[in-house]
Amino acid sequence: MTRGGKEASRGHEIAFRAGRILASLFVLAIWISASATGMLPGPVEVVAYLLSMEPEEVAPQVLKTLYNSITGFSLSFLASMVLGLLSHRLPLIKGFSEALSEIFNSTSALVWSLVLVATLGVLSPLPPILVVAAVTLPHVLTATVSALSSADPGLLEAVRSVGAKPSDEFFEVILPSSVPLLASASRVGLGTALRISVVAEAFGSSGGVGYMIIRSYNLADASGVLAWSLVLIALVLGLDQLVLKPLERRARRWLE
Amino acid sequence: MAGVMLEVSSVYKSFSEPVLVDVSLHLNGGEVLGIVGPNGCGKTTLLRIMAGLESPDKGSVRREGKVGIVFQEDRLLPWKTLWENVALGLKYHGIRGEELTKRVRDYSSMVGLTDSDLSLHPRKASGGTRRKAALARALVLEPEILLLDEPFTGLDVKARTSLREALNWIWDEYGLSTVIVSHQLEELLPLADRVYVLTPKPARVAEEIDLRGMDLERRLERVKEALLRILSRSGTG
Repeated sequence: MTRGGKEASRGHEIAFRAGRILASLFVLAIWISASATGMLPGPVEVVAYLLSMEPEEVAPQVLKTLYNSITGFSLSFLASMVLGLLSHRLPLIKGFSEALSEIFNSTSALVWSLVLVATLGVLSPLPPILVVAAVTLPHVLTATVSALSSADPGLLEAVRSVGAKPSDEFFEVILPSSVPLLASASRVGLGTALRISVVAEAFGSSGGVGYMIIRSYNLADASGVLAWSLVLIALVLGLDQLVLKPLERRARRWLE
Repeated sequence: MAGVMLEVSSVYKSFSEPVLVDVSLHLNGGEVLGIVGPNGCGKTTLLRIMAGLESPDKGSVRREGKVGIVFQEDRLLPWKTLWENVALGLKYHGIRGEELTKRVRDYSSMVGLTDSDLSLHPRKASGGTRRKAALARALVLEPEILLLDEPFTGLDVKARTSLREALNWIWDEYGLSTVIVSHQLEELLPLADRVYVLTPKPARVAEEIDLRGMDLERRLERVKEALLRILSRSGTG
């Protein structure tokens, strides 16, 4: 890169970071303005509430939400892999998967939560997990089907020329080729799973960040609602920036 | 090895427009056959039909033995080491353990790959090393017929020389019947026993030239004359 090019790239990077800081300040400004009306507690009050919470109180709820999200997402990922693999070979399953995606995509998390809580009961641990699975399935399935058809035809032909069977083609070329796309889909899917699991927890669960938010709401504890919401935001951002983004970056290098 | 190892008879192939028309040629046992022609005339399609990767619309291909093919773009799996790439076909044929290790090591060293080359992933290997790994991948299956698509394209002088030496060694030792498609006459003609010159698309066989007994200068002269003749006849030269 030339010196001018490097300077331009550095300028671009600085502007990009400034944009990110501005976005955070913008959100904070809206919050401060809203709290000035007296309808919402301000940031200082909420942070003080957060600091007063005991780690033993926060940790089980965070773990519960993580468990619900990861288990639900894993279910949808597994189902997507099976359907994606079969879709690759059978037009009937491809049609089935597409229609299933469309139906699930048109059904809101609220509907899934109510139906599953009504069916399985408020005390069942399953509704949050199943809601996450149902809501993330269409996105993960679409990404999986497209990832599985993204394999380089040249590589497929090369392994065929040395005697690969269809199963070898799948495990040696198609699946490894789809790793970067699957990693991107997982990053988006897990983020969605965390946000969705709190909705489901709010309706039918005895724990989790969503349960704590709705409990604080029912007790008219606005600071509690916002404090637990901040916990959720920290959880989503932390998981994304510290785990999922580095994994996605690593997966992208896989095909180079 | 005697007799005809591969015979292409009256092959016709079209992809929305004709690519190959009435192409007939043969490869004798132990022979190195060159296929030359203008860019984009259909040489690679012909090679793919010879390998059985493409079916002709009309005509037939007879192969007397297993075929190994080396593609122009190497086509190595980027997530596997060169060793694993070379071993792929053996695994698919159920060959494992000591036999696999021996074959990978033998054929890799035959083409000039060292153990440290084999431990690399394709992205870390040079163009010449990757091409040799692709060649070893085809050779480990011990084919009777070897098809090479533009084997010298994209390689520097050193890598071309090294690959040429490896091929010469294989032919001297094993007399492997080989077809080479190439537009690099300076690289192809010292190696080939015979060449078929194809016309511009749709490709037909314009001339068959036996190069045996000719020095390199004469070989170049004969093939260039033939190419100029067909290009001037087709009005593209």
